[in-house]
Amino acid sequence: MLAPHSFVVRMVQASIAGEIDYMTLRHRIWAAAASVAPALGTVGPAAAHHSFAPYEPDVQFQLDGVVTKYQWLNPHVYIEMDVTDAQGETKHWLIEGANPGILNRVGWKWNMLSEGDRISVIVSPLRNGEPGALLKALRLEDGRIFSNGGPAGPARIPWDQAKDAAP
Amino acid sequence: MSGRLVASLRRRGAGLVALATACLALAPPLSAQPSVKIMGINGSWERYPSISAGLGSDSEHLPPRPPDPIPEPPLKPEYLAAWRQARDRERELTAQGIPPVSSGSACLPQGMPGMMMATFPMEILESPGQVTFIQEAFNQVRRVYLDEELVAPEDAEPRFSGHSVGRWEGDTLVVETVGVKEYARFQNTPHSMQMRIVERMRLVDNDYLENVITVTDPEYLTKPWTWAWMYKRWPGYKIQEYVCEDNRYAPDDEYQRLQFDKNE
Repeated sequence: MLAPHSFVVRMVQASIAGEIDYMTLRHRIWAAAASVAPALGTVGPAAAHHSFAPYEPDVQFQLDGVVTKYQWLNPHVYIEMDVTDAQGETKHWLIEGANPGILNRVGWKWNMLSEGDRISVIVSPLRNGEPGALLKALRLEDGRIFSNGGPAGPARIPWDQAKDAAP
Repeated sequence: MSGRLVASLRRRGAGLVALATACLALAPPLSAQPSVKIMGINGSWERYPSISAGLGSDSEHLPPRPPDPIPEPPLKPEYLAAWRQARDRERELTAQGIPPVSSGSACLPQGMPGMMMATFPMEILESPGQVTFIQEAFNQVRRVYLDEELVAPEDAEPRFSGHSVGRWEGDTLVVETVGVKEYARFQNTPHSMQMRIVERMRLVDNDYLENVITVTDPEYLTKPWTWAWMYKRWPGYKIQEYVCEDNRYAPDDEYQRLQFDKNE
């Protein structure tokens, strides 16, 4: 709540100083307000499907692996993948996506992944330590990159930098 | 009256009879014909401000002022305490990463009035005598019959979307709804079968539709509960299917928890 408020104050100061035109200011303030709206509307069954709260919000890392299953269903899409570490040990991960509607709107296709595809993902892990994670960004073998839509939040780490952080 | 008029005209000639009959045919009693007034809201819409972080189309002109946040429900004191307690518990568990189960995590639709928040895009179809709302979220469909009498709440078969009729007040479509399942709660707010929802929908400009919602319920609320939602036109967007078929978030559990072995 604090961040958008201080953002508004900063924008108003900028506006008074003549650094910014009014129209841009209004657009940006409302965009900031919209970005906190989901947090205000999560009470009880008003939430459309299920919560992303089981995932660690402040941790992100990259996983490179092989798709073992791609499940394109509502309420959410899942990718299962095998990730082999430097010691040769393979761990099976369940990666949660947004719903097919959101993913279609950000450019995914229901058939763009197959078993055996090599992919990289930036994810936030489950807080309980189980091998599940919330997708932030997906990179296909051909280099194309896809987000997981607005509600899941963006990737905040660069590709190929933080692989050591993966458990 | 009109019979006597026709009889009088008949005495004056067949041509006038035909004319009078034609006039009567053109002006039937209002209730016998479906409303043909069209608001011009056919097509796809998304919630404004967008709750999906700008997935919709960008508008060229200055957008209207967005609606205020939804106020706390004006529940009677004996219900308000329990509502606040549940809200606080939900927030606390969510902060711990173990949110309690909800109707949404159990794959149930939102129902009225929650379905009108347009979690995902919404399509509106205007046809003579009827306005239909189709929500992408949970494939929810709602039919509003124009210029019909609303069923009495005690006779209304409980439904998620309730029973709705609409009428025009100038350029505002006023929709009344009763018969919402007690089980379908918006923001976890309890309601009785005496709950009434009145929506006042009007175009703020061609691209923005405002919906002012007022909920009354003599059993649970001390006064009307009012808020507004606004929708932005999304030309060309085609509504997608949404069947909540992979219910893996453990609805039989107390908390939402990811099930790993679902559909194995």
